[in-house]
Amino acid sequence: MPARTLDISALTCPMTWVRTKLELERMAPGEALEVRCSAGEALDQVPRSAREAGHGVSVEGTTIRIVRA
Amino acid sequence: MSDASRRGFFRELASVVASAREAAAEPEPEAPPPELTDAEIERYSRQLVLPEWGAAAQLAVTEASVLVIGAGALGAPVALYLAGAGVGRIGILDDDAVELSNLHRQLLHFTPDVGVAKAESAAAKLRYLNPDIVIEPYQVHADAENAAALVEGQNLVVDCSDSFATRYAVNAACCAARVPLVEAGVLGVSGLVMSIKPGRTACYRCAFPVEPHDAPRCADAGVLGPAAGVIGSLQALEALKLLTGVAPPIADGFLQVDLATAEFLRVRAGRRDDCPDCANL
Repeated sequence: MPARTLDISALTCPMTWVRTKLELERMAPGEALEVRCSAGEALDQVPRSAREAGHGVSVEGTTIRIVRA
Repeated sequence: MSDASRRGFFRELASVVASAREAAAEPEPEAPPPELTDAEIERYSRQLVLPEWGAAAQLAVTEASVLVIGAGALGAPVALYLAGAGVGRIGILDDDAVELSNLHRQLLHFTPDVGVAKAESAAAKLRYLNPDIVIEPYQVHADAENAAALVEGQNLVVDCSDSFATRYAVNAACCAARVPLVEAGVLGVSGLVMSIKPGRTACYRCAFPVEPHDAPRCADAGVLGPAAGVIGSLQALEALKLLTGVAPPIADGFLQVDLATAEFLRVRAGRRDDCPDCANL
């Protein structure tokens, strides 16, 4: 089970990635973050930004699981 | 109390407590790292979202104290961008009053400000822009007599003055105190920008050992507002680079900008063994 969760479902771009990025910055490499978002832009943008930043990403429904690089 | 001053207060308190603990030879617990507030995350979101920027860079500028020398054509964009970026404490120094002829290029001053001290006029606008930071106006002219006292304790100095005498005085003081410095000048439609890490990169005196005899004055040569805006904006960017390390500054030389031809030329200038300001650092 991931130790951290983050709910960005009430946010819009770019705050969705800002909040996710800041949370990832607080984590150690290898640690996982479960991000809950709403369907739509965030579900497309946040995984893409996380991959571009080099993190491991998997998506299930509206939950994005990011393993910090 | 603003977030910046509150943080400063707690930092001081934490350091007093830490010294007391050290004196009592007890193990020192790690202070929790400072966190950005929700309002700060919102205000600075468009820089926080950058891959190069992040909480560490934001906290570095939030905790920084920067002195901007001159509240004119260069000082205006510099102070505006640094206040906007969240630099925690900005000193803005100028002993002139706003004149009608300043307004085409000095973005911090407006027509009703004519006759008002530039430092105060600037401070009022900067506080409007960002009420979470500390703005300290000084109605003082920087010179060789007071430069050392002015730069003491600063994390960075941005020299937006318009005279060689002031630039040399500020450079010497920053070198002696090892305070990083951003120098710049603008005339007509051209200018230059240079970042200085005293003792590590060439200083202003290394690059310009003597004042040019034919150096024109602003009043004689004139300046277009947007040209000053470009040079001041570059200077602000250099300041943010030096405060955070997010990108390499224009060091060991300067950037020569000709805005008539839109040519940017990087000119190399190394440290000089005989530099009276930095050779001994």
